[in-house]
Amino acid sequence: MSATAGSAQRATRSRVRADPLLLWILIFTTIGFLDAAYLTYVHYYGLGSLLCIGASHGHSSCVTVQSSPWSKIDGVPVALLGLIGYVGLFVSYFVTARINGELGRAMGFCIALIGFGFSAYLTYRELFSIHAICEWCVGSAICMTFLVVLTAIRFLRGEPATT
Amino acid sequence: MASRKEQKEQARAARLAQEQQAASKAQRTRRFQMFGGAIAIAVIVIVVAIVASSSGGGGPKGAHTGLTTGKQERQLVSSVDSVLNKIPQSGTTLGSPTAKVTMQYFGDLECPYCQVFTLDVLPSFVAQEVKTGHVKVEYRSMCTATCHGAFSQQQSQKFFNLQQIAAAAAGKQNKFWQYADLFYHQQKTEDTGYATNSFLTGIAKQIPGLNVQTWQTDRKDPSLADQVNADQQYATKANLPGTPSLIMTGPKGTELVNNGNLVTSESQLTTAVKAVS
Repeated sequence: MSATAGSAQRATRSRVRADPLLLWILIFTTIGFLDAAYLTYVHYYGLGSLLCIGASHGHSSCVTVQSSPWSKIDGVPVALLGLIGYVGLFVSYFVTARINGELGRAMGFCIALIGFGFSAYLTYRELFSIHAICEWCVGSAICMTFLVVLTAIRFLRGEPATT
Repeated sequence: MASRKEQKEQARAARLAQEQQAASKAQRTRRFQMFGGAIAIAVIVIVVAIVASSSGGGGPKGAHTGLTTGKQERQLVSSVDSVLNKIPQSGTTLGSPTAKVTMQYFGDLECPYCQVFTLDVLPSFVAQEVKTGHVKVEYRSMCTATCHGAFSQQQSQKFFNLQQIAAAAAGKQNKFWQYADLFYHQQKTEDTGYATNSFLTGIAKQIPGLNVQTWQTDRKDPSLADQVNADQQYATKANLPGTPSLIMTGPKGTELVNNGNLVTSESQLTTAVKAVS
């Protein structure tokens, strides 16, 4: 490992230690990212492997949601869009740390708000149009809800006081 | 009394504090402006995404039947035709009557998994195995999505029979598969009672070469209702796990292809074909 990379890692670690809010944001982003990655994988490599509680028509309720007309926008699976959103959040943390703190925090909040809004719409569709609940989608929606609150606090608070 | 030097220092400190206050106020204002901007951008993106999702999502459109019209309809009909072109049909069977392998496809026209299977997986299998005369596909009725539970059992069964008989009546003119494909392409939210008489007639009218008057008469043929009931009884007796259920039969025996899981790739079908051939 080069000295520059090592010092960058140390800087990131100390930033996370100094800011518990950032730690929680990173935790929820990672959980959401893994959730969306799993849903995207299942979408492209086989619906049969989707682990989910509840069943209808002999299929799990997740499959019902994943094969519904609302699972895609113009042919692009919403799971993939979610995955891109979580990658965008990671990019915003990078921007905050390395390029422009204010811009990065605004970017993170904006992405989280988009994710939260669209997750709320999809949850509405699950409840009232599809009549099935996909636990993985709800998991991602919960992560986005926490993220929108945390990133809003972080943005309005500004740079944390360093010790 | 403070010395001149102290007075100067006090004034300087006061000026610095004032400047700091102004800078912090400007920063706060800028932050709130960015916050508002971020909310505005997010709202625009969410609205666009919801509109795109709803328009592709099968919600009710302008026409009361919700069926595709105009240029989109022409493109849809031509894409369905390109899949089924020059493949023999008889009743609900697609493919050569002398094909050695038969795939029974138990489906429900309102079932979203059947839609995924029929539109995403079946076409390449048809091109490879059915067009070549090796396999024929027999569609059979099994009520799942339509009998999901929003309506009474009797009402759901009525809806199911109406749509399955409508498709089977097109089969009397050897156009069952055009009917089923167009239905799946324009499928709406299951078990909402959308497949009304005008919806079903609308699909019939989309099929090039289908005599709609004859189709209307054929819908009253009791043998079609008997066949739908017989299919369902068979499915219940065989304890089929859901729709689509696919049963492959060939010289070497019979195999249930999917056992409840959705078939998402053509290779699952070709493997089953090899096993029974």
